[in-house]
Formats: sequence, C-alpha cells, structure tokens
Amino acid sequence: MHVVLLRLALGLYFVGFVHSVLTTLNKKQTFFRPALAAMFAGFVFHVSAIVLRAMEVRYLPLTQQYEAFSFFGALTALGFLIAYAKYRIATLSVFAFPLIFIVTFVANLFYDPNPSIPPVLRSNWIYIHTPLVILGYTALFIAFAAAIMYLIQERELKSKNLTRFHNRLPSLEVCDDLAYKSLAIGFPLITLGIISGALWAQSVWGDWAREAKVLFSFLTWFVYLLLIHYRLIAGWRGKKAAYLSIVGFIGVLLTFLGANYFGGLHTF
Amino acid sequence: MQLALVGLSHKTAPVEIRERLAFNADALRTALTSLVGREEISEALILSTCNRVEVVAGSADDRSIREFLCEFHRVPHEAVSKHLYSFRNAEAVRHVFRVAASLDSMMIGEPQILGQVKDAYRIATDAGAIGMHLNALMNRAFAVAKKVRKETGISQLAVSVSYAAVELARKIFGELPGKGVMIIGASKMGELAAKHLKRAGVSSVLVTNRTFERAVELAKVFHGAAVPFEHFTDHMDRADIVISSTGAPHFIITKTLAEQIIHRRKNKPMFFIDIAVPRDIDPTVNDIDNAFLYDIDDLQQVIDANLKERMKEALRAEEIVEHEVEAFCSKMHSREVVPTIVQLRDALEKIRREEIERNRRLLKDLSPEQQAAVDQITKSLVNKILHPPIEQLKQLARDPQGPDIAGLIRKLFNIKP
Repeated sequence: MHVVLLRLALGLYFVGFVHSVLTTLNKKQTFFRPALAAMFAGFVFHVSAIVLRAMEVRYLPLTQQYEAFSFFGALTALGFLIAYAKYRIATLSVFAFPLIFIVTFVANLFYDPNPSIPPVLRSNWIYIHTPLVILGYTALFIAFAAAIMYLIQERELKSKNLTRFHNRLPSLEVCDDLAYKSLAIGFPLITLGIISGALWAQSVWGDWAREAKVLFSFLTWFVYLLLIHYRLIAGWRGKKAAYLSIVGFIGVLLTFLGANYFGGLHTF
Repeated sequence: MQLALVGLSHKTAPVEIRERLAFNADALRTALTSLVGREEISEALILSTCNRVEVVAGSADDRSIREFLCEFHRVPHEAVSKHLYSFRNAEAVRHVFRVAASLDSMMIGEPQILGQVKDAYRIATDAGAIGMHLNALMNRAFAVAKKVRKETGISQLAVSVSYAAVELARKIFGELPGKGVMIIGASKMGELAAKHLKRAGVSSVLVTNRTFERAVELAKVFHGAAVPFEHFTDHMDRADIVISSTGAPHFIITKTLAEQIIHRRKNKPMFFIDIAVPRDIDPTVNDIDNAFLYDIDDLQQVIDANLKERMKEALRAEEIVEHEVEAFCSKMHSREVVPTIVQLRDALEKIRREEIERNRRLLKDLSPEQQAAVDQITKSLVNKILHPPIEQLKQLARDPQGPDIAGLIRKLFNIKP
C-alpha cells in the first residue's frame, strides 16, 4: 500500500519537475499554481506512505536506502512548502521541485519489499540521529537554493543587464535572509545529528565510527561553522556567504551520496 | 519660416560626450546672447538637460549652430559631429514637439522633460533670444505635450528615471519601509527620485547640499534631516540608498569612501544612484561587494525593457504629434503667406498708381471713359502678373514641407516684412 502511495506522490512530483524544466527553458512560469497544488498533494501521499511503512515495520522507517531517500524527499517538500508559505518565492520551486522528484524517484528504485533491519541499527538512537541529520540537510538545501538565487539576482543587478528571469527572483535581502535563517536552523540540527551519531557509536563500539561518511560530515560541518563565524563576526553577507553556502552544500551531497562508495554502516 | 535644430541626446551620444556639450545654468544666458549675436541667427533657444542638448534657432541652416556649439565648448567638430543630429523646418518642429511630449525621452512619457523645456523657454525669453517664430513654436509644443498626456496612456505607464530607481531598490532591499535614503545635491531629479522612494515606504530621508539652507528646505518637505555638506560622509552609513545629483565637476564619492561606508555598515547592501552629469560617483564603486551603482545610462538600460510596454501608447502619441506638426506648419506658412500676398498686391498697386500719377499730364486730354479704361487696363495687367506667384504662395500654404517661396518672393519684389 505504501508503495502505491509513494508512486502516486512521485507522479504528482513529476508535474512539479516538468514545471521546473519548462520554466528554465522558457524563462516564464507557465503553470506554477497547478504545479504547486500537485506538489502539495504529492507531499500528503508521501507522508501517508512513510507513516504506513512505519506501521508495517514497526520501527522508524530509516534503515534502508529506500526509506532514507523517501524521507529526505518528503522533508525537502516540507521545507519548500514552509519557505514558500513564509516568503512566497515561486522561483524556489525551480530548484526544489526537481530535487524532490529525483530523490523520491531514487527511493523508488531502491525499494525492497522484504526489509531486514541490520541489528546495529536496532537502537533508539535511530529516532534521534537520523531525523536530525536529514532535517538539517533539508534546511541546508534551502540555504543552498537561496544562495543560488542570490547569486543570479546579484549578477543581474551588477551587470545592469536585467533579463526577464530577474523579475521572478526575490530581492537580494529576501534571498540572504532565507539563506541565513535556513543556516541558523540547519546548522544546530546537523551539529546535534553529529553529536547523537557520536554517542550512538560510543554506545555500540565505545569509539567513533571510522568511515568516509563520518569524515565528510565533519568537513561539511566545519564549512558551515566557518560560514556562521564569518556571518556573525566578520559581517559576511550576500555573495561571499552565498559562495560558502554552496561549498557547504556540495559537502552535504558528497556526504549523503558520494560516501556510499566508500562503504561502511551508512549505506544509504 | 526658417528653423534649424542641432542637438544630441542619450540616443546618439554617451554621457562622456553629453557632459562636454552641456550648458550649466550660468553659461546659458551668455550662450544665448552669443547665438543671436550671429548674423545668420535671428532667434534661439537652448535646452540642456542631463540627457540632451538641443539648440533650436531661426536660421537658414544648421552650420552656424554647429559652429557655435563647438566654439562655445572648445570642442573640435570632428569629435562630436557623429553624435550631433540636425533638423530643419518641419522636421525641427516635429523634433521639438516629440521632445516636449516626452516621446524622445529616455523613459517615454516621463513628465520632467516638459518642465525642463518650459524652463529653457523662460530663460531664452528672459535673455531676449525668443522671436515670433520660436514663440509660436514653443507655445504650440506645450499644448501638444498636454494633449498627448491627456489623450494617451504614456505618462500613466511611464513615470521617470526615479520610478526605475524605486523598482531597483525593491530588487535589492525587498520592502522599503525601515530603509533610509540620502539625497546629495538638491536637484529636481534627486528630489523626484526621493519623493518616489518615500511614497514606496522609505522611512528616513537625509539631505545634504552645498547650500545648507536649501538642504534644510528640502529636508522639511520629506520630514527628514539636513546634514552639512562638509560632514555628509559621517552620516552616509545610515543611508541604504544614496541619490547623488550635484553639479560637482569631479567624483564626490570615491571607491575608497564607499568601501569605508560599506565597512561601517557591516556589509549591509547599499544602492547608489548617480543622476549627475558630470557623474558624482566613481563607476568602480559598482565593483565593491554589496554596493550597487547605477548611473544615468545604466538606468536607461533598465528602462529600455519597460519601454516596450509603452510603445503601443507611444504610437498613438506619434500620430497626434504628426497631425500637430502638419497643422502647425501650414498655420505658420499661411501666417507668412497671407501678409506676403497682401504686401505684394500693395507694392504693385503702389507702382501702378505712381506710374499713372507720373503720367497724369499725358493722360489729361483723354475722355473720362478713356481714363477709366487706362486705369482698368493697368489694374488687370498687375493682376495678371501677380496671378502665378500668388497661386504658388497659396499652394505653399497647404504644403508644410514646401520650400520657402514666401521669403524668395519678398526678396525678389523687395518687400520688407
């Protein structure tokens, strides 16, 4: 049942994906309202799918690649909807919709009907560590999208050659504000995520989990720490902050996806 | 009517050229006097704004106006000739109408130009440079501008450079409430831009000006504060938007200064609007992070995009102008033609009478019938001779593009106007 719901959600997300592609090609928002409605309906189905899955496995559905991706997709959708409700930035959809679609699509690919939960993950820590990290990543993704929008808008304003795209981008101040607030939410979340991960590892092995993913997440965390530091102490904002935010999110992607190639416990 | 116009505008010349040929308020009077002092020029008007310099004169050709422009500004003609345009007679009339009706403006339909044209007219009148033709032309131009504004939507859609400034400010700051603006130099343009920003929600206004009283005056209008010009940089960090439009011949905001201010503001973004010609703000200020500088030409680029929207309304306005040009020209022609016809008749009638009077002695033996016949014959002779030139003149009155036959005929028959 939950797979059917997930695929329904995926179908609806596809509408958003098509919208983003067309918007990028035509530089014109052709059917944002219907796409937004589709994304919202998709999100509802998606959450239902996750809840059903949780009831089926009687555990937090985050032990499989399928579940992790699905969870991440749903949270990105949630993050977008919250940011949209607050800032009304339709252009954010151009970045968010494809990501939500692709992540959910990947989740579908990894679907395994007979899940077996690795014993090491059978711990209450999973209820703390994994949601913290994924929530944090979602916030940081929004910060990343805001940074990209900031840079595009900034370049248009500096070059004085304003294209039609410019009119649909939010103002610099809104982009910067969104990036900063997302960072302010995301950073504590990944910090707590890393601490909880360390405590979890401590409780299992009495030591850190020595693997690529942990190393990457430390590096990423450090980039964001620098960004927070520069923003607070050196008064960085705008372009420089946006660049560093993009570097940080590349770190997130490497951690989340790339690190799987190096093996280890975090194979999702 | 002999009308010639030489000018350059934002469409034909960059700010670097325009600032070399611009007339400041003090030079205008001297320039006008020296213009009408020339033999070929009977009357003249100079319009000098940051976007254009136009010299319109009662003159047979544009050569002497071009000479004057180059001599007055000590610029070699080769350096500016490709930026200058010339119009004569009906075309000059059309250009004046289009400028006054704001159809040739950077932002089509912007309302300031009409005020600037009116100022130019007033200054020229005060300097005694306006004659009958320019008087008629300019008054008609004001009426045409009013008509265009009333009957088309161009000025509802378009506001001005200041409106573009507000739009850009919104792109940088989002909402404007809580933001501050500083006006440097108490110019009309600066005032208008500030007015728009204030209407868009800007909270605080600082005004600085070389003449402090003027700053105080302007600050009152905006419920803002005046700042002495000597210390304006101390207060600049409170402004998110800086509008500069002083008459200073050099940069008053350098890159170093802007960097310091941005630093003091902890990198909060700043929007610099430089509407002065010559420019007030070093263009490299735009290279500073979080600083956005738009000079008068940059604003033009932004405006171009909006222009497309206004083109439709402008087309209707152009039709009105076209119609008005025709009406004005034929009116001017008939205004010249009718007196010419009357004077021509009078002149020949006078010759006829004088000749009869002179030969009275020879005619005295003729019977009264014969004398009447002589009178009749000479009259019809004069009428027959006058018939073709008068027909030509009447024809001319219907054709505004026609050559100046009236002047030629007056010259041929030695008729003083």
